[in-house]
Amino acid sequence: MQSSRSTRLLYLTRRLLQHRPASQKAAPAAEGAPAGSGTGSSGEQTTHFGFQTVRESEKEQKVHEVFEQVAKSYDLMNDAMSMGIHRLWKDIFVERLGPTHGMKLLDMAGGTGDISFRYLKYLANQPNPTKRISHVTVSDINQHMLDVGEERARRLGLTSDRLPNSSVAWKCADAEKLPFQDESFNAYTIAFGIRNCTHVDKVLSEAYRVLQPGGRFMCLEFSHLTNETMQWLYDQYSFQVIPPMGQLLAGQWQAYQYLVESIRRFPKQEQFKQMIQQAGFDHVSYENLTFGVVSIHSGFKL
Amino acid sequence: MANVRCLHKLIRLQKLLLPLNAQSSRLAPLQPRPLTFLLSRRYASEDKTTNLESFRAREEQREKERDAADTKKEAAGGGGGSAGSGAGSQQDEAKQAKVDAIRVKILDAALQHVPQHGWSRQAIVQGAEDSGYPSVVHGMFPEGGFALVSHFNGKCNAELVESLQRKTDDGKLEVENPMDFLVQAVRQRMEMIAPYKAQWPQAMALIAQPQHAPTALAQVLTLVDDICYYSGDRSVDFGWYTRRVGLATILKMTELYMLQDTSPGHANTWEFLKNRMDEAVQLQMMLNQTEGMTHTFQRSFNSAFVTARNILGLGYNRN
Repeated sequence: MQSSRSTRLLYLTRRLLQHRPASQKAAPAAEGAPAGSGTGSSGEQTTHFGFQTVRESEKEQKVHEVFEQVAKSYDLMNDAMSMGIHRLWKDIFVERLGPTHGMKLLDMAGGTGDISFRYLKYLANQPNPTKRISHVTVSDINQHMLDVGEERARRLGLTSDRLPNSSVAWKCADAEKLPFQDESFNAYTIAFGIRNCTHVDKVLSEAYRVLQPGGRFMCLEFSHLTNETMQWLYDQYSFQVIPPMGQLLAGQWQAYQYLVESIRRFPKQEQFKQMIQQAGFDHVSYENLTFGVVSIHSGFKL
Repeated sequence: MANVRCLHKLIRLQKLLLPLNAQSSRLAPLQPRPLTFLLSRRYASEDKTTNLESFRAREEQREKERDAADTKKEAAGGGGGSAGSGAGSQQDEAKQAKVDAIRVKILDAALQHVPQHGWSRQAIVQGAEDSGYPSVVHGMFPEGGFALVSHFNGKCNAELVESLQRKTDDGKLEVENPMDFLVQAVRQRMEMIAPYKAQWPQAMALIAQPQHAPTALAQVLTLVDDICYYSGDRSVDFGWYTRRVGLATILKMTELYMLQDTSPGHANTWEFLKNRMDEAVQLQMMLNQTEGMTHTFQRSFNSAFVTARNILGLGYNRN
């Protein structure tokens, strides 16, 4: 036991030493590329994958691999990395959404069901004198994540047949090409997911399409801190602590290296707000949580 | 007018003092100072007594010119190089107007549900569904019940102003009995609350919350400002503040009294209102009589009020 731990630590330090120059090399290359997507030498569109620049077709595959690898330990890692605070963020997110009976929610990138379960519990705590039926479709591009979520739902008793006035559906779908009809939902949430999509603008316009007039788009995502000192602290934590932690707890260095890099590449609050407005949403606003480590963006289709 | 009277008193005082000053010849170099001071004061006072109206007209004229220049500048900017950005901001404005119209529509519909659900998110949800939107749209009102309260207050204030305008022909008609006019205006405003009387304590609790203070205060102050204006108050002195703060106090007292009033047609409330108004008038008369003495205090209070007003941001947009 003692020896295996020390070899693991040794391995970890070696990885740390090896990895640093590599990531530093990758960073300037990515800085040179335009934010979002550009055209590579081969003529195909390129995009970013963390700090690396990859072809668009590759990114989807790479993201898929990352989440396939981490699906099992996803919840454990979330707790460890955020010191449990991600639960509060999600609680606040659902509180801001303010579910009411009769709502039809599409929980995109909702893999392990964190948002959907909170939504269902929130509804169960509200009086429902008229017995209105609520609905949630949990959707994710990755079947592995959905499997974990469905298993959790069964364990918690949050399935369609055991809930009195709510129905739950699980659907593997790509946020850029939703297999749903126009105006079939009245709320769309995406929590810690939009960052991993190749074309954020397509995701937003698809969200706009499937929402009814008056429907609400809400996004919970890692964002940028408003205070520079805090940002520096946060950077130190992200780059020095999270990848080793991923290695220790989930056996995945690369996946968590990608995670922190992709957070840095995601547009700032104001810029993302403008993107949402461009997709056609009105009354767009955002709220920073924990100094801006995450932010909640909200928009309405009117 | 109070200021002018005050000036007269000061001048009279100076006249009495002047001979004393003149006698003490040792202070010869100081002598010219009170003289010029007196002259300038007299000059200013003459100007004020005879030309207060023309002064106001001049100021209004100047303001109009400034406004005209502003609009001209804007028009030139729009027509010039920044046509694209002008169109963009216009589009934004149109969008904002659309959003505002929807908000008003939902809140208007929600008011019908207040007797059942109170000033709450639930009422807004019902209102949204009545006007054909899904319930989630309540997220447009993150302040919840207070959005409904402030909407209701704003609507009632606008209604009252409209009726006062009709009564006074947009402020041009002289009001014969200002006190009676004030009583009637406050009564009219209170009667608008009557249908929601059972839920009104909840609304007052929402208004009293610190985070809602700026909006709530601004609404009360614009209301009393409008009432005072149409009652014929055109003062430019410290009385402007005392009258408005006094009226706001009476308004709020009457509101509280009405909540507990079970008399038919709120007869006791109107009696109460009349009495408070009488007291206020008496108080004002007493203050007027002692004005000369309290002049210094007034000035310091005045600056404190201006500062407080600016801190509270009461350059509040009434629409």
